[in-house]
Amino acid sequence: MPHDTIAAIATATGAAGLAVVRVSGPGALAAADAVFAGGAPLADAAANTLHHGWAVWPAAAVAGGAPARALPAQGRAPRPAGQDDVAAAKRRQAAGPPGEQSPPGRSGAAGERACTDNAGIAPGTRLDEVVVAVFRAPRSYTREDVVELSCHGGALCAARVLAALLAAGARLARPGEFTLRAFLSGRLDLAQAEAVADLIHAETESAHALAVSQLGGELSRRLAAVAEAVRDAAAEVEARVDFAEDVGGIEVPAHVVESVAAAEAALAALLAGSAWARTVREGVRVTLVGRPNAGKSSLFNALLGDARAIVTGQPGTTRDLVSEGLEVAGARVTLVDTAGLREGGDEIEALGVARARASLETSAVVLWVVDRAAPLAEEDRRIAERLAGRRVLVALNKSDLPPAVAPGEIGSLLDGVPHRAVAVSALRGDGIVELTGALAALLGTGRAGGLAGAVGNRRHADALERARAALARATGAARAGAPGEIVALELRDGLSAIGEVTGESVDEDLLDRIFSRFCVGK
Amino acid sequence: MMSDAPSGSTRVPQDGLHVRHCGARSPHERAARSDVAVAGATHERDTRSDAEVTGAGPAGCEAAVASATPERDGRYDVVVVGAGHAGCEAAAACVKLGLRTALLTVSLADTAKMSCNPAVGGIAKGHMVRELDALGGLMGLVTDRAGIQFRMLNRGRGPAVWSPRAQCDKARYSVEMGRALDSLPGLARVAGVARRVRLERGRVAAIELDDGRSLRCRAAIITPGTFLNGVIHVGPRRFAGGRIGEFAAVALSECLAGLGLERGRLKTGTPPRLHRDSIDWEALDAQRGDEPPMPFSHWSDRLEVEQVPCWLTRTNAQTHRIIRENLHHSPLYSGRIQGRGPRYCPSIEDKVVKFAERDSHQVFLEPEGRDVPEIYVNGMSSSLPEEVQLGFVRSVRGLGRAEMLRAGYAVEYDFVLPHQLDRTLEVKRVPGLFLAGQICGTSGYEEAAAQGLVAGINAALRVQGREPLVLGRDQAYIGVLVDDLVTREHREPYRMFTSAAEHRLLLRADNADERLAETGFALGLITREQVERVRAKLSAIEAEERRLARIVVWVPATAAVGDAVREAPAPGAASDDGAGADAGPAPVTRKSDPAAAARALRALDLVARPDGSCAALASLGVETALPPAWAGCLEVRTRYRGYIERQQRVAARAAALEHLLLPVALWEEPLNGLSREAREKLARWRPATVGQAGRIAGVSPSDVAVLLVHARRFAIAG
Ligand SMILES: Cc1cc2nc3c(=O)[nH]c(=O)nc-3n(C[C@H](O)[C@H](O)[C@H](O)COP(=O)(O)OP(=O)(O)OC[C@H]3O[C@@H](n4cnc5c(N)ncnc54)[C@H](O)[C@@H]3O)c2cc1C
Ligand SMILES: Nc1nc2c(ncn2[C@@H]2O[C@H](COP(=O)(O)OP(=O)(O)OP(=O)(O)O)[C@@H](O)[C@H]2O)c(=O)[nH]1
Ligand SMILES: [Mg+2]
Repeated sequence: MPHDTIAAIATATGAAGLAVVRVSGPGALAAADAVFAGGAPLADAAANTLHHGWAVWPAAAVAGGAPARALPAQGRAPRPAGQDDVAAAKRRQAAGPPGEQSPPGRSGAAGERACTDNAGIAPGTRLDEVVVAVFRAPRSYTREDVVELSCHGGALCAARVLAALLAAGARLARPGEFTLRAFLSGRLDLAQAEAVADLIHAETESAHALAVSQLGGELSRRLAAVAEAVRDAAAEVEARVDFAEDVGGIEVPAHVVESVAAAEAALAALLAGSAWARTVREGVRVTLVGRPNAGKSSLFNALLGDARAIVTGQPGTTRDLVSEGLEVAGARVTLVDTAGLREGGDEIEALGVARARASLETSAVVLWVVDRAAPLAEEDRRIAERLAGRRVLVALNKSDLPPAVAPGEIGSLLDGVPHRAVAVSALRGDGIVELTGALAALLGTGRAGGLAGAVGNRRHADALERARAALARATGAARAGAPGEIVALELRDGLSAIGEVTGESVDEDLLDRIFSRFCVGK
Repeated sequence: MMSDAPSGSTRVPQDGLHVRHCGARSPHERAARSDVAVAGATHERDTRSDAEVTGAGPAGCEAAVASATPERDGRYDVVVVGAGHAGCEAAAACVKLGLRTALLTVSLADTAKMSCNPAVGGIAKGHMVRELDALGGLMGLVTDRAGIQFRMLNRGRGPAVWSPRAQCDKARYSVEMGRALDSLPGLARVAGVARRVRLERGRVAAIELDDGRSLRCRAAIITPGTFLNGVIHVGPRRFAGGRIGEFAAVALSECLAGLGLERGRLKTGTPPRLHRDSIDWEALDAQRGDEPPMPFSHWSDRLEVEQVPCWLTRTNAQTHRIIRENLHHSPLYSGRIQGRGPRYCPSIEDKVVKFAERDSHQVFLEPEGRDVPEIYVNGMSSSLPEEVQLGFVRSVRGLGRAEMLRAGYAVEYDFVLPHQLDRTLEVKRVPGLFLAGQICGTSGYEEAAAQGLVAGINAALRVQGREPLVLGRDQAYIGVLVDDLVTREHREPYRMFTSAAEHRLLLRADNADERLAETGFALGLITREQVERVRAKLSAIEAEERRLARIVVWVPATAAVGDAVREAPAPGAASDDGAGADAGPAPVTRKSDPAAAARALRALDLVARPDGSCAALASLGVETALPPAWAGCLEVRTRYRGYIERQQRVAARAAALEHLLLPVALWEEPLNGLSREAREKLARWRPATVGQAGRIAGVSPSDVAVLLVHARRFAIAG
């Protein structure tokens, strides 16, 4: 099933200095040539070369040799998934030769925008000054011919260049379609394809580093070693089941149990970093709670370095949830300011309090703001009760004023809930650095070993946790004297869970191992 | 008892024809059957009247089978070539399904000859024999009749891998198999050598013999074992033959090649045979059978057999030295043998070379029969020259004066690369041509028999126009075997292992009947009596489970089971009203010793404990009425319930993908995105399902993901 030629804006929307439009497929060079006016045709360009010139409105669709197609009408309803395939396949049957173009598929917002008001543009009209990179199959991201046109930043230039490419016969790529092609062409394995998605979504330095490490196959490498050890252990156990009379001896020898235990420990170590790695990848929500007037909104603003929330001397100022992104030591944090928690108040405030409570319930990490200049009140006691089971950081606010809360009072209110308390003054900015440090520590930064090979993806973490648990059951069963086939069952479960991450198959070579290591057969 | 067909079929003369019971058939299938009778009939006719059919009920329809006598030229529905372990099962299955069947073999006396070791069963192989038996196969019954020592292997391990094995009297085995075949009404046993498969309009039409005879048929099953272009090696000597002293099927092999089938070459070997009286038995350790012996067959009740022991000894440094010094005489190490041998049944040369660090290997001495002098030297398969074999044999403890009755030898033979077969064992490109046994690249009697059954059943179903039978990997080792054969690449003879079955805990020797008897009955391979027997066993076990779930026993918290104090069952606990195990323990009103820190346990949970068993319960006064074998099944089910349920869930999940069909036309597509290796392999194997595709070596999970994408697109486009 030959691929058609797809195009899309490859850079994030926004006010970046550059925007890249990428075209991939058998007609990529032809489509690019149709919109490129430069020194020489791109079709003659060598692989991995850069060319300077102008992007222009094309005369007619050329990619794949198909005539120009009508662009989709404005506001056209998105078609359900799968229909494109039907249409494409039908046309293939009708028209025969591969390379035939599909019309733009389920158009994304950018495509719709790009494809609207071009009707009157004259062929040859200059759209933008561009630098074009030419990659030839198979040495490209998708292993197809790929052309990347770097335009000036801002939404408009790139959108017009994209529209031109579509007019030249390329089809608008669906989300993730370039990566899908890279995966389909075998250039990326599953874990790497996922890393690309992570990379695209990485908003902080650490998340980027984590994705890059995974793209390089660091995690797969570490897991390969673990899987190898488990496979060897399984081979030993299986040999004792299938060749009872040849191999004989005890069911699961001690050295096998030990090597499984070591593999389990290795997985546990990888997973120990996973909470932090996941924080890095997915970000974490931190809710600020406290009584009215404790200074939550003031602290929120101080942490952001921006007067984002309204601050007044009147209790009950904040009504709705206010949230803002923040980077804390490489982790993406979403700070949520809330209404001060108290009973009563007007209808609006009551609704705000309900939202605050809901946000608190769903936050793993809570920043409790206490007004240290006033004695603790009944509301504080109620809040403390709700904090059990969460990671808690206490900000003892208004440190610029004389304290009214004795040291230890907070601890006795929190009664056994682990927490750290930091004195701050939101008004003056004292202690904010310390508070940020404490928050970073709470999120798990500063882990030894860095992020290389860490498990930053929830799917991976789940699979590896299942693998670890299976190995733990295997050693448990072996130590309890369970028969070999039960231990083997757990080892196979563990291997297949690891395989879900590395994309490897599991027992293909089990027999090979048995034969290469044991003398079996009468 | 020998005159009864193994399936329990009855012979009822009627209109001069033999009529026997067979399984349920739909009207559609009945129509297909009479079509067979008409199309193929010369002197037979279908005696079933419609009244008989409607009156017989769903499972009792009657099929007429001609009492064919061997004849010079014949017309059959199916001709089976080769009466080895595969051929015998294939022919029996065809007859049971009501087809006019001929079993052609070189010499009737060699029927089901045990070419190599005198044993049936063993780990994983024993499982397959039990499965065959549940599907009406002959091997289990014949083994029960010819066995001289019965053992359950792996007893020290969990019951899922307990495997029955029996030493057999080789000559008796052949005789008993012959009798079992003779008791099948209408089977024609023909002596002769097949030379060619004749096709007409691309389909199998006849088997031609080298004496000019021709057996017309609508399907043929080829099971020539090690005979296809067989070459025997003993040291430097080599000569044609499939077994020592026998012929080699050269023409047949060429004929298969002529049909466009790709062949490969494999080898296997057999050890020397020693004279019983030349062995110093005093120096050896005996290995005895189980008492009482456990029968192989579900349909054998008790075995009355005087068992004989096998004997154990070991090789030593001198043995290894002699072998090493003579390696240059080995056809294997001098390069005269090209075919690949099995790694699990290595020659002694292989063992000494590949495991140089071991200074000793086990040797088992197994009698080839009750009244024959041959002793089989298990573990010393060799193709070194005779005098070298004698030298190393005599270096072994207890064999110092041993006399060799026959030297060990190796045989090289052609096989047909099995990816050219469907899961029914039909050759993909030749409708009506089925292959089974060693010819498909396997080794072992049980593997051959299992394929024989599959090919026999499917050849019959094809002739009758019925749906094929494909056993799943979670259903039977036989299913695993066939699936592995047709989807994997084989560089050595394939032998079954329990580790080949990913759902091993579901595929036990104790539940083969539970897994397969209903299938066997629905097809017509076993009788109603037989399936009723299985149903009765199952319902008795389930009822007992329910009962034991409602009896409460008191176990002192610290004491072993034996010290437990039994609590009287709650009212109604002994009744089997189906209230079920879910009801939980019945309320307990009285404790024998209120002071003791005793713990209430359901009797069933006690059985589930590692130290628990039905016998332990009996010691607490909770007697079970189940016969010991059934009580054993209950123990397995109970003790492994958690694991079994886990595997069932995994199997169900796998099944969803497993059974997703890949359209044949998909292979005409260029299938972009697959690795080159995967594309080549897939194009060659053309797997029928996604599950099969995933098991092909070289097809990675990402290839499977890609294939899924293509299959979906294809389905939409189609
Ligand atoms: C030397 C040797 C060593 C072996 N070693 C082992 C071992 O170590 N382990 C193991 O598991 N298995 C071993 N076997 C294999 C075992 O014998 C086979 O796996 C098994 O018998 C195969 O069964 P089958 O039904 O396919 O063929 P076979 O049992 O070989 O039966 C084939 C039958 O077909 C007949 N036949 C062949 N060609 C024709 C023709 N053209 N026309 C008519 N009839 C024909 C033959 O006469 C024979 O009766 C060995 C076999 C040999 C010969
Ligand atoms: N002296 C002093 N005053 C502070 C400090 N932080 C906040 N305040 C004052 O406390 C008052 C309440 O501040 P907010 O930040 O609105 O308090 P809040 O917790 O958001 O209150 P609600 O939104 O009503 O729940 C304002 O008058 C702030 O100026 C501090 O560190 N020191
Ligand atoms: Mg506020």
